[in-house]
Amino acid sequence: MASLIRQTLVMTRANLLSLPRRRAISLSMSLSIALVVMVLAGFLSMAKGFEQALKGTGSSAVAVILGGGTNQETGSDIPPDVVRSIAAKRSDLGLVRNAAGELVASREIVVPVDVRHPGDNLGQTMALRGMDLSGLSLRDGVTLSAGRPFARGSREILVGDRLAHDVPGFGVGDTVRLGAVDWTVSGHFSAGGSAFESELWADLDAVRAGFDRQGEVQTLRLRLESPASIATLRDALSDVTETPLVITSETDLYAGQSGRTSDLIRLFGWPLALLMAVGAGAGALNTMMSSVADRASEIAVVRTLGFGRMAAFASTWIEAVLLSLAGAAIGVAASWALFNGWQASTVGVNNTRMMFQLAVTGDVMTMAALLGLAIGAIGGALPAIAATRRR
Amino acid sequence: MTDTNDQPPYIDLKGIRKGYRIGAEMVSIFSSLDLAIAGGEFVAIMGPSGSGKSTLLNMLAGIDGPDGGQLRIGGKRLDQMGESARSAWRAHNMGIVFQFYNLLPMLTAAENVELPLLLKPLSARERRIRTEKVLDLVGLAGREKQYPTLMSGGQQQRVGIARAIVSDPGLLLCDEPTGDLDRKSADEILAMLGFLNKEMGKTIVMVTHDPQAARHASRTLHLDKGEFVEERSAA
Repeated sequence: MASLIRQTLVMTRANLLSLPRRRAISLSMSLSIALVVMVLAGFLSMAKGFEQALKGTGSSAVAVILGGGTNQETGSDIPPDVVRSIAAKRSDLGLVRNAAGELVASREIVVPVDVRHPGDNLGQTMALRGMDLSGLSLRDGVTLSAGRPFARGSREILVGDRLAHDVPGFGVGDTVRLGAVDWTVSGHFSAGGSAFESELWADLDAVRAGFDRQGEVQTLRLRLESPASIATLRDALSDVTETPLVITSETDLYAGQSGRTSDLIRLFGWPLALLMAVGAGAGALNTMMSSVADRASEIAVVRTLGFGRMAAFASTWIEAVLLSLAGAAIGVAASWALFNGWQASTVGVNNTRMMFQLAVTGDVMTMAALLGLAIGAIGGALPAIAATRRR
Repeated sequence: MTDTNDQPPYIDLKGIRKGYRIGAEMVSIFSSLDLAIAGGEFVAIMGPSGSGKSTLLNMLAGIDGPDGGQLRIGGKRLDQMGESARSAWRAHNMGIVFQFYNLLPMLTAAENVELPLLLKPLSARERRIRTEKVLDLVGLAGREKQYPTLMSGGQQQRVGIARAIVSDPGLLLCDEPTGDLDRKSADEILAMLGFLNKEMGKTIVMVTHDPQAARHASRTLHLDKGEFVEERSAA
């Protein structure tokens, strides 16, 4: 075994020292692998960033009630009688009450609105959320970063930081036309980069009036005594028969919505990356076959001296793996430099524009690098076998 | 061709058959070749192109196996060994000197010489000592770190010889060792082979086209169309 390791090491060293003779083709192999790694890392970082934005949204101590049996806010409808009967319940609901014994709750609706600016013909669909004033206190981790909250009954909007940063015309004091009326930006809020930052928040009654949604409630947000109290709430509301209710925590609501879109992004990314990997694998095969041909006399000499087939195989295969490792390292480094933190947007929750940052995380880099290594390992195997037949 | 010594021959070929398939046709190289070489002999094999010299050398080296007959070297039946066994046997019992030196250009002279020692259970220090010793023996002391591409043909062939003898094999196979050298360098190499034969007791089989080279051998065999047709011993 020690002899095999020594043989492999010296042959590998000789292979690597002879790389300058094959500079161009070796470089092209590494770069093609780097490209595949970048494509996969790009898609995976997009899915990861989208997931992070949604999974970081909301609080497990806030319950969201949706009506109509849907788990999508825009499709939800809670009849006014149900809202009133929940508010009127005096039994233990597992919910926090204020000093007056009233539930800490916010009735909310989400209206997709088209925002157009001069020179922007297509416009962008954004989520305008109408909420009770108490809705702001139900947003854990949300802080006011500029201006002031919207005033009750006024046509004022509070704009998420990410949206305010990416879309012009949302400065504090600016007037924006949403639907048929003008709204004034009263302030900006920060929510740690979560999906909340892609929303516009306003007073519930003002949104209802501006979009002819009088009396409508899509969701009811309530402060739980603890995350575990959601079970108590479900039990307590099991007698509601007017509409099928979906009762979930705010974190679960957004996490559930992240799955479908991020899966879709991966569904596009993997086949494309694998298709490119097949091409890069063929390139690796070609490169390593050239390497074996280039080193034919050297392999024959050491085989004649008594070096084994295994050393010829291993040294050629290691060369392929090292070249792919170099490609993977280049690809990962370039992906991190180019993609990490890159602002992107997609149609997300409630069919409105959701902004997020691409996240080139450790698992994204590992997965992309492993694909790069696999290209070299598989593409280099056949030439390595060919090397064992040289004599 | 038989050796007259009473000792069993070091190299003993009996009824060797060897052929190659070219397309659908089988071309016979040897139909029944016999050869006996005693230990410590220096034998030159001459013959025209296509006479079977290289095929014979490849079989002696264990690179190729015969189709039939017995091939015995140092008492071992190479014809009964598999490829990996022949490879291991070659690593421990034989050194090969090539016409075009066949040194690895990206390795230094010492690293080239050290290659056969990597197959043996030796420490790095032992390998270094043995490498320096043989490089000194072939007159290349102090050139351990020089790369082959910076050496003359004669010097490269010395490195080749050092590599062939570094593991102290009993048998040296030389394939046209002076074929790529000028007369002066060729004579130096031949003198060195003579020294290894006479002073160190190496058995040498040398394939050559050069009659002057063959004169350094104790016996010259002429091969033609797969048969030994003439034998001449040195005076």
